[in-house]
Amino acid sequence: MLKRLEERIDCTLRKGLILTGFACLLVLCLSALIVCFENQAAGAETPGKLLGDESDGSRAHPTHLIPLVAENEDGGQGGKINPDDDPLLPFSLRWTCGGCHSYGLISKGWHFSAIDPNISPGRPGQPWILSDARTGTQIPLSYRQWPGTFKPEQLGLSSREFIKLFGRHTPGGGAGELETEVPDEIMREYVSGKLEINCLSCHNAEFAHNQGEFFLQIARGNFRWASAATCEFASVSGSANDMPETYDPFIPEPPEDAKKVPPTIKYHESAFDHENKVYFNIVREVPDNRCYFCHSNLYLEAEDTEKWNTDEDVHLAAGLKCIDCHRNGIDHNIIRGYEGEESASTNHLAAALSCEGCHFGEKESSSPVAGRLGAPVPEHRGIPPVHFERMTCTACHSGPWPAKETILTKTSRAHRLGTIGVNKSHEALPHINSPVFAEHGGIGTNTIIRKRLFMGVGKIAPHKMVWPSYWGIIKDQDVTPIDFEIVKQTVGQVLANVSLPSSGDWPALSDEHIIEALKSLKGTVEGEPVYVSGGNVYSLDESGKLWKEEHNAAQPYLWPIAHNVRPAAQSLGIRYCTDCHATDAPFFFGDVAVDSPAVTGRGTKKMVEFQKVDPSYARAFAFSFVFRPMMKIVSLGSCAIIAVVLLLYALKALACVVKVLAGSV
Amino acid sequence: MFQKISIIAFLVTLACIVLHRIFVPSNKRLPGNSTSDRLSIIGMLRILVYLAVLFCFLVLAITGFYPTLILGKHITGYLVMVHATFAPVFAVCLAVLAVMWARRWCFTSGDWPLFERIVRWATLANNPVANTYGKSSCLGQKISFWLIIFLALPLILSIVLSMFPLFGTHWQELLLSMHRYTALVFAMVAILHTYFIIRT
Repeated sequence: MLKRLEERIDCTLRKGLILTGFACLLVLCLSALIVCFENQAAGAETPGKLLGDESDGSRAHPTHLIPLVAENEDGGQGGKINPDDDPLLPFSLRWTCGGCHSYGLISKGWHFSAIDPNISPGRPGQPWILSDARTGTQIPLSYRQWPGTFKPEQLGLSSREFIKLFGRHTPGGGAGELETEVPDEIMREYVSGKLEINCLSCHNAEFAHNQGEFFLQIARGNFRWASAATCEFASVSGSANDMPETYDPFIPEPPEDAKKVPPTIKYHESAFDHENKVYFNIVREVPDNRCYFCHSNLYLEAEDTEKWNTDEDVHLAAGLKCIDCHRNGIDHNIIRGYEGEESASTNHLAAALSCEGCHFGEKESSSPVAGRLGAPVPEHRGIPPVHFERMTCTACHSGPWPAKETILTKTSRAHRLGTIGVNKSHEALPHINSPVFAEHGGIGTNTIIRKRLFMGVGKIAPHKMVWPSYWGIIKDQDVTPIDFEIVKQTVGQVLANVSLPSSGDWPALSDEHIIEALKSLKGTVEGEPVYVSGGNVYSLDESGKLWKEEHNAAQPYLWPIAHNVRPAAQSLGIRYCTDCHATDAPFFFGDVAVDSPAVTGRGTKKMVEFQKVDPSYARAFAFSFVFRPMMKIVSLGSCAIIAVVLLLYALKALACVVKVLAGSV
Repeated sequence: MFQKISIIAFLVTLACIVLHRIFVPSNKRLPGNSTSDRLSIIGMLRILVYLAVLFCFLVLAITGFYPTLILGKHITGYLVMVHATFAPVFAVCLAVLAVMWARRWCFTSGDWPLFERIVRWATLANNPVANTYGKSSCLGQKISFWLIIFLALPLILSIVLSMFPLFGTHWQELLLSMHRYTALVFAMVAILHTYFIIRT
């Protein structure tokens, strides 16, 4: 009996196992079929990629008629927006565009990746400059590890404060999406939202797109609304800054103060079609005008600096667009276009789309690639090859023509160009001087770091330059900046009576002002307070006397000029060598302004001091060009005489041979 | 590459001099090195020109080859300036040298009897070949002198022409290479020439 029972159990178990196996197989097949059908329905995309991540090969613009999607209270994907919704929420580009384009991948792109320490900083670029005339502060900031810049947190700036100051000229993302670590800001962050990537900043080809609104909304604390406010079919009013920390934009209640308006969005009625979809004029090829919003430069060479007085970059004039060279894929890893970028960038076109890449072709290319985009192959007649070893292409071809003195320069990002209420005065802070012909990597930069960051190390290039001015603590010859809020409270109070020029220029700080400010800081912060400005560090000795000495921490921050590129006929050296090799040539002997609010710290330095070239050698070499024409004449004359002698004796030799052949010898 | 070639070339030159010193007895005398020459102003001038050329050559060779051979890099800095200052002086001296010494260093029939015989043989000339062995004097000096004068042309022109807006980067590099390699051969010949003169 027992045996039979065991056999039955055994048989049942076997059947059960077989059935389970069949069931598993069935589930697997069904899953595979579902995935297969899903892929087919989605247009057979590459696994892991969204619909818009990979082109099907058509060069035509895809039409973006899509529903608007809002974010929910947790920052996740909310519902589709209906114009009759109450409350009407701003659309989120993360969720509206993110349906077809991998937002996570895009957020690693160059324009958004400054906060990621794992991404190579590449060649130092333009920093953000925190400037405050009242406290005599002008300090370059960057989240990237560029030598000479400071991290915002070193000045006590949270990511939210940083965005409030500089988010205006970013396409969102990056620091704008960081979770705040400041307890006081957590509630405020919920009210404002995060500053997510504004795809429209670059890709909206609609003329009615208003990037200036981005600045306004950020200033009002309407981070969540900022992107939507820039587009042509929405308008945003009210301010998140005016709302209490308990305000919930998802379940809004009227504020107690009737004068204060909560952030509110209105969509144009005609924007939505019958399916509540909205048309975006999105282009992959970003219009130049979009780039210009953040990347304009104003060289204050003359009194009249209106646009019609100056030319655009020669490439744009020739019909190219910014994105013809500054290209990227879905990863938004855009090509910056500098020499040696391929060592820092993962963009496989980095080498091909540099100056050399287009005009000469890649050295390692198996097929001819010179003349890309119609780029002429330069001959550089009469230019000794050593110039290409010692100078970048931009040295002769980019930026303003060097004058006896460097000129003040404004940039979109430093001077808030293109937004409302800009100080149009030439002297408005921050003070950026250009062109400074300096060795790549600037001065005061560690050679090892320079070699790590640049391929073109040792080459001279035109730069923009800012002299840092800030209050700091010195310890073992290292200067660390003091929290900017403390500086504003302490130094700002001490210097409150110093008159500020209406132009936005520096106030004139005397030694007494600096002494007073340092004394007040001594009582506020721990350590030895110093003032860094104009290449010097100011400190008090034990008797309270002001000491000034040159210091590495006070070295200027330089970043290379790439644009505007001048035509070949306007390049340095086009007239003669003396464009640069003359005893008064600005390239070597131009005056570089030493900028400082401290009256005693102002002055000039010679350009050659930034080039790691012996000034007396540079002058002697330049002087030798006075004799260059004479040298050529003498050498050619000598050659002529030698040639005549050779010819004469060659003829004589021939005569001898003829005699021998004639048998007369 | 140029560094290695230069070092080898100079070593070969030195080896040739040593071998020559060992195996060939010294029995030549400098033509024109007579008492009358020493006394005349022209003669003094000739010697002075020779010395000036030699001095300029030394300066140019040191400034030109020192960075290449010792430092392994191109000529730069003050060395360029010294090099460029002495170069035109050298060119002028070479021209004067050519004018003043060309006649003295003229080849004679006694210099190269073998060549004469070949010419006669090739042209089936009837007149008998005179035995000119032993009549030749200073053949080494003569050959090296004319090589110096001949090499001076590409040496000077390669660098002077590169200063005019005539040639693009590729040709500039070619001219520079030509200047380097001509300078190397020139230096070898000049060393040999100096050796031959000292020897006599």
